[in-house]
Amino acid sequence: MYFKNFSILSVICLASFLFVSCSDEYEVPDGVTKLTNDCIKRSLGPNVVGGQIEFAYAMALPREKGRLVSARVQASISGAEGTYMEHRSYHTDDVGTDVGVEIGSPSETNGGVTEVHFTVDTCASTLRYYYIIPEEARGREVSFTFSAESSNGQAVNYKMGPYKISNMDMKLDIELKNNTYFSIEDMRTYTPAEAAQHPEKIDFIYLFRQMRGVKFLHAFVSPTADKDYLPGVTVPESFTNSTKMMRVYASADQQLARNEFGVFVDDVDLQQIDVSNSPIFVINMVETGGIWAETADGRYKAYIYINSAPETRAGMTVSMKRLKVR
Amino acid sequence: MKKYLFTILTIFLIVVGCTKFPIDEDGLLITDREDCYISNLELLGADQRSVLTEKLVVIDEEKLTISAEVQFGTDLRNIYPQFSLATDAKLDPKIVGKVDFSDLEHPKQYTVISGNRKVRKTYTVLITVQQP
Repeated sequence: MYFKNFSILSVICLASFLFVSCSDEYEVPDGVTKLTNDCIKRSLGPNVVGGQIEFAYAMALPREKGRLVSARVQASISGAEGTYMEHRSYHTDDVGTDVGVEIGSPSETNGGVTEVHFTVDTCASTLRYYYIIPEEARGREVSFTFSAESSNGQAVNYKMGPYKISNMDMKLDIELKNNTYFSIEDMRTYTPAEAAQHPEKIDFIYLFRQMRGVKFLHAFVSPTADKDYLPGVTVPESFTNSTKMMRVYASADQQLARNEFGVFVDDVDLQQIDVSNSPIFVINMVETGGIWAETADGRYKAYIYINSAPETRAGMTVSMKRLKVR
Repeated sequence: MKKYLFTILTIFLIVVGCTKFPIDEDGLLITDREDCYISNLELLGADQRSVLTEKLVVIDEEKLTISAEVQFGTDLRNIYPQFSLATDAKLDPKIVGKVDFSDLEHPKQYTVISGNRKVRKTYTVLITVQQP
């Protein structure tokens, strides 16, 4: 009885599988008969002025139909200096390395148009395009039209975007020496002598101290903080900024840390972060950590990431994103 | 024989599985446990890293105090406390985010309530700041 029921059940299941699987028959598509193209955006994260947006533009036509003649990109806002299209077509070899094969002369850029002319006989190519985001694109949207032409007179195009350009600024690898003064607005350090000329710009002092019994080490301290947190530093009375700072760890921005993690700080994060209840100093800062900060006048908010901070000696390398909020 | 064993086991599991404990206002089971204590305290800073020094947290079950030392420079207004409690016990007030421990003269108090909700103990958290 048991085996009989099992057999009936098996037949029903098999029949239902056959019915379901046969309902949509796959048809092999026709081969490509004309010039075609495709495009992907390779770069991730917020588009920051001075940074780049990278694309890979692929184009091909059947061998017997002709060869590629040119590839072209039209950007809605002209790219900054350094914008170019690769004149090498890349493929990935057996061990995952990108290998470039030269297919034409270096690209020429005029206004928003970047173009490469093919000088080799090829019917398929993937070219990369690097758009350096110009200052005039800040806060606006930019879009791109990729196009290709072949020797048989065919032409194709592919539209990408629009992409929002961030309002924030980014600066990488700022070296901090012991007892230097830092301006979030200027995204740079000042020596004590320089800082004395612009006390209103100084948001915090970077110092490194090895103290008995406590972990002080690397610290960012507002000029107005308690003297306990400014050992060995005499700050003139003209320095009056109290900068709120909130320490953060394990949320490294990919663009600042340049690691593999897909975490990005964007305009909206800086707009929404609330550091109003935070102290005006942070001590014992460690590598891969960082801070959210707001200038005393409330005009700027920043995320500062610590790229390197040796445990046993002074000196730190930081990268930052900064947004003017009012 | 196997068939009978299987049936008995199934009935047993159904009976055990259907034993009901009442649920309190927080959606937690009210059990038979009378254990009521805090076994450990961890304090995390705004960056979710411990702000405690190497000194051990001391829990005094007679005075019902928890003594902890935090690192020099700790931002006491933005602390995430983490209490380890007896099984099935719960804490009042609940920890729902950052807690301000900066008023050292008026230490925070937390009450542990046992699993059967019949035993309550109120602990006082005494924080000292490491000094150079």
